[in-house]
Parts: sequence; structure tokens; C-alpha cells
Amino acid sequence: MPWLTGEEWQAVRLSLVVAARAVAMGLPPALLVSLFLGRARVPGRGLLNVLVHLPLVLPPVVVGWLLLITFGLRGPVGHLLYAWFGIRLVFTTNGAALACAVTAFPLMVRAIRLSLEGVDPGLEDAARGLGAGALDRLLTITLPLAMPGVISGAITAYAVSLGAFGAVITFASNIPGETQTLPLAIYAALQTPGGEATAARLSMVSIGLAVLGLGLGEWAGRKLRP
Amino acid sequence: MGATKHARGDLPISLACYIAVMTYRGTDMRRRQLIAAAIVFAVPADAQAGPVVFAAASLTDALREVDRLWVARGNPALRLNFGASSTLARQMEEGAEPDVFISADERWMDRAAERNLIVPATRVSPIGNSLVLIAPADSTLRTALDRGTDLLALLGPGGRLATGDPAHVPVGRYARAALTWMGQWEALAPRLARAGNVRSALLLVERGEAPLGIVYATDAAISPAVRVVGTFPAASHPPIRYPFAVGARRDTPQARALLAFLTGPEAMEVYERLGFTRP
Repeated sequence: MPWLTGEEWQAVRLSLVVAARAVAMGLPPALLVSLFLGRARVPGRGLLNVLVHLPLVLPPVVVGWLLLITFGLRGPVGHLLYAWFGIRLVFTTNGAALACAVTAFPLMVRAIRLSLEGVDPGLEDAARGLGAGALDRLLTITLPLAMPGVISGAITAYAVSLGAFGAVITFASNIPGETQTLPLAIYAALQTPGGEATAARLSMVSIGLAVLGLGLGEWAGRKLRP
Repeated sequence: MGATKHARGDLPISLACYIAVMTYRGTDMRRRQLIAAAIVFAVPADAQAGPVVFAAASLTDALREVDRLWVARGNPALRLNFGASSTLARQMEEGAEPDVFISADERWMDRAAERNLIVPATRVSPIGNSLVLIAPADSTLRTALDRGTDLLALLGPGGRLATGDPAHVPVGRYARAALTWMGQWEALAPRLARAGNVRSALLLVERGEAPLGIVYATDAAISPAVRVVGTFPAASHPPIRYPFAVGARRDTPQARALLAFLTGPEAMEVYERLGFTRP
């Protein structure tokens, strides 16, 4: 589209890339956590459930700040990531993706758990009776049946990641080309004198992407309902 | 947070509501207790709220001290809103009505004046600041800050220079001017970490995420987690001034009295102690 400048296109592309990476980062742990919360009978499940839902309840800036003190260069995890693998997260696209993944994590877990609870345990028992191992049952029975929830969770997470602001700007900062996703670009434009037109254009794109994402989620949810 | 006063009508009203709810026969005891508690806690305690001050983030510590002095004189506590001067000016454009606005550069105050958001007759600029290059406290970097200094090399591969966003935050604009004077702007522009205000930039250096940062001398002084690597020559950037003014829609004797206090001898003593300069 000719009415977006090169820099603005960069923000749009970056938003899509960050959201995709966020889903890729968040989905496997969300799956594991959902299975654990749904199936395991150990104490501490309640606490894990609360922790999982924290990003939903905490102010996004707090989520970003907690990420900063954990994954920053002087944080317990960030320090090791840098020392062992040379990985930096603050100021990088992957850092922005991590912030989005954490923000969207509770929603992914909820969607997947809902779907998992709908899986008939009788089917898994039957499979076990017929000799299928745990991993086999997971891959051939549980996951395929829970797929609507997994996909719906992934799409919701994608849409949420497109809009994540507080956590991203606090953790990954506002760096055009690296971490300046659409919400950050809109915010920066609003702060700059004369930037209202830019903010308006970017907002339209943002709304368009959000509508597309959510519409896709609805359609996928309906299509995959057994 | 300073003195608050209950309006005289508050207590009887809460008591009346509490009694009314507790004696109501239409629902069970637990529900009545919940509703009564909600009403008691919902009645505002702060009937006489203090004046609103929008101030540049670099004045955070100074104004909190001045607020204590203000309250000690028997006034209601100030409601302080700190942020980048650009962000605050935008909030005022969108309808926020502070009693006093304090900006970190003349340009944002000019813009507020253009849009009739302040009372021009009350505008004064009693304090200034200087610009410094900082590093985390345990860093050993040293350099002079002259026209030929190679800051890019000092930053190292992958390192970012944290400062306010040069597009709108005052400290970022002063930083841009200083870096341009040094001939380093083109090289460093893509290597900046653009913070929303000077205190966010300070945080990035404190946490070691950015090996270098550009903030005001007063911010560096107040933070034990950073050290000053060098001070930018005054000639390298426009003079740093803090204009104070009364908000246009709040031009009252109380607001003017507050402005007089904020620029008066007691407050000036606090500013100078914290490192602000007298222009």
C-alpha cells in the first residue's frame, strides 16, 4: 500500500514476525503446562495455576519489569543465557517476542485446557488397554482431539501479541526495526509533534490486523469443532 | 503521603449508610456485611485534594522533597505527575488541567503556550541542568567528551546508548545536539535505546542493559548504580532550562501561590542541593 512509509511498513512486518515468534515460543510450554495442570495429581498444581494467570492480572508494565529483572543481563536467567549462549533478549526482536509470549501465555493455557477437558478419558483408557504407551496416546489420541483448542489458543495468542504494549516497551524497549512493533510505533508517533497522521494510519492497520486475526480464530474454531 | 482532611459531612454519611444496610431485612447477614463494607471503603477519604503538578521526570526527587516542605506549611499534599515533558504536554493538549506545569525544555513550554495551555505571565525558568554520559557503577570506561571523541568504539559491538527518544523527549533532544556537535550523531543514531523519559534511560544503564547512557547530571547524582563518565561541554547543546508556569484553566491565587513556593528560596535550596544549576 502506497500510503505507508518504509519505516511504518517495517513496524507492521516486525509486529507480524514478533507475534509469530511469540506463538512459537509460547505454545510448547503452554501445551506442557496444560497437560500437567489437567492430568498430574501433585500438590502445587494450584500455585502453578495462579502463576500461569499472573500476566493476565498484573499490569503489563509490571510483567515487563519482572521480565527485565529475570532475563536482563544482570538477572538470574539472562545472565546465564548471555554467559553460556551469548543470547541477549533486552533490545532484541526475540525479547519483544518473549514479552508477547508471556502476556499471551495464560490465554493459550486456558484455551488448551478447555479443549483437553473435552477429550473423553474413556478413549485414552481404551488405547491404554490395547497397549498404547503414554507418548503414543498423547500424540495419536489426546492432541488430535484437543487440536481445536490448541489452534484457537495459538490464534488468540497471535492476536494478543500484535497488541502487546506495556510489557514489550518495558522489557525490549522501543527500537525501530528491532522491537518497535505497531503499538509502540503508534505510541511514539503520538508523542511526536505532528505525528497524529502517522498514528491514525498505523491504527487503521492495527485494527485491520486484529479483525483479521480474530475472524480467523472464530472461523478456525468453528471449522474444527467435531 | 501528606495531610488529608475529611470533609465534615463524610463520617455521618458513611455511618448512616452502614446502619441502613445492616438493618435492611431484605437479604441475609453475610450479604449485608459485604455491601456495608463496600460502602464504607468506597466513601472518599480525600475531600480536599491538593493541587496537581505536571513535572519533567528529572524533577522526581526534588519535587517530592519540596512537596514535604509544602505540606509542612499546612497545605494539602501535591498530586505529582512525572513524565517526559513531551508526554505531559500532550496530556494537557488532550484536556488534562494541571495547576502547574514544569517542562525540561523551553520548546515544550513554547508549544503549551501556543496552544493556550499555560498562563504566559507566570512563566519563569529558575533552574537549569547539565548533560552527562553515564555507565553502570562497575564499569571502568573513561573518556573526555570533545569534538573528536569516538563514542561508537566506547560502546562496543552490540552495545546501545540509552537516552530519551530524540524525537520528542527533552533529554533526547539535548543528547542529539551534543552528539551532533561531537560529529557522532550519524554513527550513533541507529545504536540508541530510545526511552520514553530520562528515568527509563537511567534504569537501563543501572541494570547494565546499556553500557552507556545520556541523562542529566542530577539523575546521575541520585543513582548509586551509575557513574558519570564525562560531562558534555555546555557549548555542545542548547542551555538546559526548566520553565515553570501555571496551567491556563487553573489560574487561581492558590495555583500562583504554589508556583511562587516552587520557585521560592526553600525550593531553590532543595534544587541546588540536588545538583540543579542557577542559569
